[in-house]
Amino acid sequence: MRNKEKENTTHIRRTAGDRVFETAVILLFVLFTFICIFPFYYLLINTISDNDLVTSGRVNFFPMLKDASGGGVFGVQFNNYLALQNVQDLGSSIIVTVARTVIATALMVVTSAWAGYLVTKQKMWKRSFWYRFLVVTMYFNAGLVPWYMNMLMMGLTDNFLAYIIPGMVAPYNIILVKTYIESIPSSLEESAVIDGASTLTVWRKIIVPLSIPILATIAIFGAVGNWNSFQDSLLLMNNRPDLYTLQHRLYIYLNSSSNLGAMMSQGGTVSEQAAASMLNQRVIQYTVSMVSIIPILLVYPFMQRYFVKGIMLGAVKG
Amino acid sequence: MTKGGDLAAMEGTVRAGYPAEEKQGFGQKAALWIFRAAALITGMAVFFPPANPGRISEKINEAASLFTTGVSRGTITNSMGRILRSQWIQDADISLLMIACIIVMLGVIACCAGACMSLGNRKMKRRGLLLPLCGTPAMAAGLLLIRRAYGNMLAHGEEVGKLDTIKVMLPDGFTAFWVLCGLLFATALTAFLTTRPEKDPAAKMEMDEKFRLFLMMLPVILLSFIFAYLPIWGWRYAFFDYKPGGTIGPDNFVGLKWFGSLFNDPATVTDLVRVLRNTLIMSGLGIATSWLPIAFAVLLAEIRSSKFQRTVQTLTTIPNFISWVLVYAIAICIFSTDGFINSFLTNVLHQTGANTNYLQIADHTWLKMLLWGTWKGIGWSAIIYIAGIAGIDQQLYEAARVDGANRFRCIWHITIPGLMPTYMVMLLMGIAGILSNGMEQYLVFENAMNKDVIEVLDLYVYHIGIGQNQIPLSTVVGISKSLIGVTLLFAANGISKAVRGESII
Repeated sequence: MRNKEKENTTHIRRTAGDRVFETAVILLFVLFTFICIFPFYYLLINTISDNDLVTSGRVNFFPMLKDASGGGVFGVQFNNYLALQNVQDLGSSIIVTVARTVIATALMVVTSAWAGYLVTKQKMWKRSFWYRFLVVTMYFNAGLVPWYMNMLMMGLTDNFLAYIIPGMVAPYNIILVKTYIESIPSSLEESAVIDGASTLTVWRKIIVPLSIPILATIAIFGAVGNWNSFQDSLLLMNNRPDLYTLQHRLYIYLNSSSNLGAMMSQGGTVSEQAAASMLNQRVIQYTVSMVSIIPILLVYPFMQRYFVKGIMLGAVKG
Repeated sequence: MTKGGDLAAMEGTVRAGYPAEEKQGFGQKAALWIFRAAALITGMAVFFPPANPGRISEKINEAASLFTTGVSRGTITNSMGRILRSQWIQDADISLLMIACIIVMLGVIACCAGACMSLGNRKMKRRGLLLPLCGTPAMAAGLLLIRRAYGNMLAHGEEVGKLDTIKVMLPDGFTAFWVLCGLLFATALTAFLTTRPEKDPAAKMEMDEKFRLFLMMLPVILLSFIFAYLPIWGWRYAFFDYKPGGTIGPDNFVGLKWFGSLFNDPATVTDLVRVLRNTLIMSGLGIATSWLPIAFAVLLAEIRSSKFQRTVQTLTTIPNFISWVLVYAIAICIFSTDGFINSFLTNVLHQTGANTNYLQIADHTWLKMLLWGTWKGIGWSAIIYIAGIAGIDQQLYEAARVDGANRFRCIWHITIPGLMPTYMVMLLMGIAGILSNGMEQYLVFENAMNKDVIEVLDLYVYHIGIGQNQIPLSTVVGISKSLIGVTLLFAANGISKAVRGESII
């Protein structure tokens, strides 16, 4: 890379046309990057500004608080986030979503690691058939309603397990793990087998520790997928609002025509009620949105390391 | 000793090492496989609510499987509050039922364990087959106890005169379990009697590695079967006049009526034409702009500061990882009546009367959806091409420059051809998935104004199936979509094989 840059600067004369082109490209990317991240910034400043200023639309580029005369000055406040504890049903959906993200991701990773290891075993009875049996499900599904009727038949509607069990076998992730394990020198495994290690021991002591990079990749992508899950909650939890995921809850908030302030739970101290009345619908929507974005932004730096691996390995055929 | 002699000796030891490989008679083999299949079916039936032998009253939760009936009193009694309070069904009978179900389950577990062990060597097989010979009597005892709970409930119901309310019955699952129990016993006994006992007292229980590995894989295979293959069983609703909560049977079998309605029923045809137009246009726009990530990657590679490249890549990928609901939240905060655009016009540009809710305007919906999709996905889609560019041999560029190629010629003759194979795969997958746009994006952006132009096939299936409870019609649409999708995928794969000599799946 460095060599290439050096060459570019030494051997290739940059013409005026080149400079114009490069400037134009840079401007284009700056503009597009701005479009990508400004909405997040705008969302954030609307949740940490004075709510009256937000309602009157005076918060555009900086977070603002009211000064003595009622005008806006630069400043931040976090009362909206504290006031979220009074928003009805939000707590349960956060707990459900966190529990789901942790449990479902952990089980998915274990299952993928286990199945991904076993399908590398040439000795398995009808191995290639079973491998195809798993992989075909990526390209084919029976349709939304038959799937729903199946979940109904299995008793997985209005049931937390519906978030966990169906996601355990993820064929795409099994392919990723399998491809990765195939790149581990088989001599490591063979020497352990000669020393008398069982399949389980080999998996636990050799395969899993060596596959940590790929397992981290599928874990982090799986966790984001679970955190963002919306459709299964929408379809399956009709009679159990306490099991709605955070995204489903947010979807309901975004679509509720009634003022969410009215949805705040009754009671509490006078100051709590005052805080509640300060909130209007928009601010609650924005704040809940921020709450569901923040965890993703937090894991984002860790995810980045695995981007290319995640995509490139998928391109490798199983 | 000759070489041939060595080999013969080796073969001899190999054979001796695997006594399980010895010839099995046809009858024994058939009995074993029928037994294993029956054990598998019984094992799955334990978790399968329609096959619950313990649902001896219609008031017992329909969604309860045998397993649930055995372990969760709350689930099975959740719709019989009054019946229990008034003692029309006695608590003791429910307890008896639960105990009976647990006994049946223990029997089934023994049969399944026996089926697994029957894959082992002769000694393991003999031991394993003893399990179902104990397990099936346990099953039978459990089933008799269920029958007894049924009898008690019937007698008690008659006594208090509430038989109409408690609706005691013997479910189909009860008969099914008797049949399975008998089949398991007969086949296990046949297999046991035809398997000669191991004479060598020092022999250990062993299983051939191929079956051991398979048994370890079996749970994964079963999960995949239940959640990815079993839904196909739901296709049967397409052939019946089914209403939610109703049943299907010979009396409401309608053959291909629902398939015909896709072409005959005027209302359905109008809807389908509309949603297919939306689907094809939006997928078409997606395919027509599928080169954008390449342009993104190529232009980004032209910038020489790698720090700038990395920053752009990082920041433009963020939208890919938020859900469509959050994208909609962002759309609200930018484009709604009190969103950024309007407040910017009002407070910064001092325009009056800027209070348009852009989300409620149905104009250019297709284009807007394309732009949202591009905003969310382009940074992510570009990564694969960025990686592809990094993999192109630098010597090609050097050689081209020596020959006098400028920047654009290098892009056109080296970078683009280098990325083509990847692009072709993406394009063919896009064409194969032309009917599946997913429903989340369109569901969240849908409103009364843009309903007609935003409803794609997936969303339509959701609306008519889950929203309006038209199970058969939505199943038919889903079946057609699945079959067309698979056909397109095979076609795309065939094209790929013919053109590139490589398959995409």
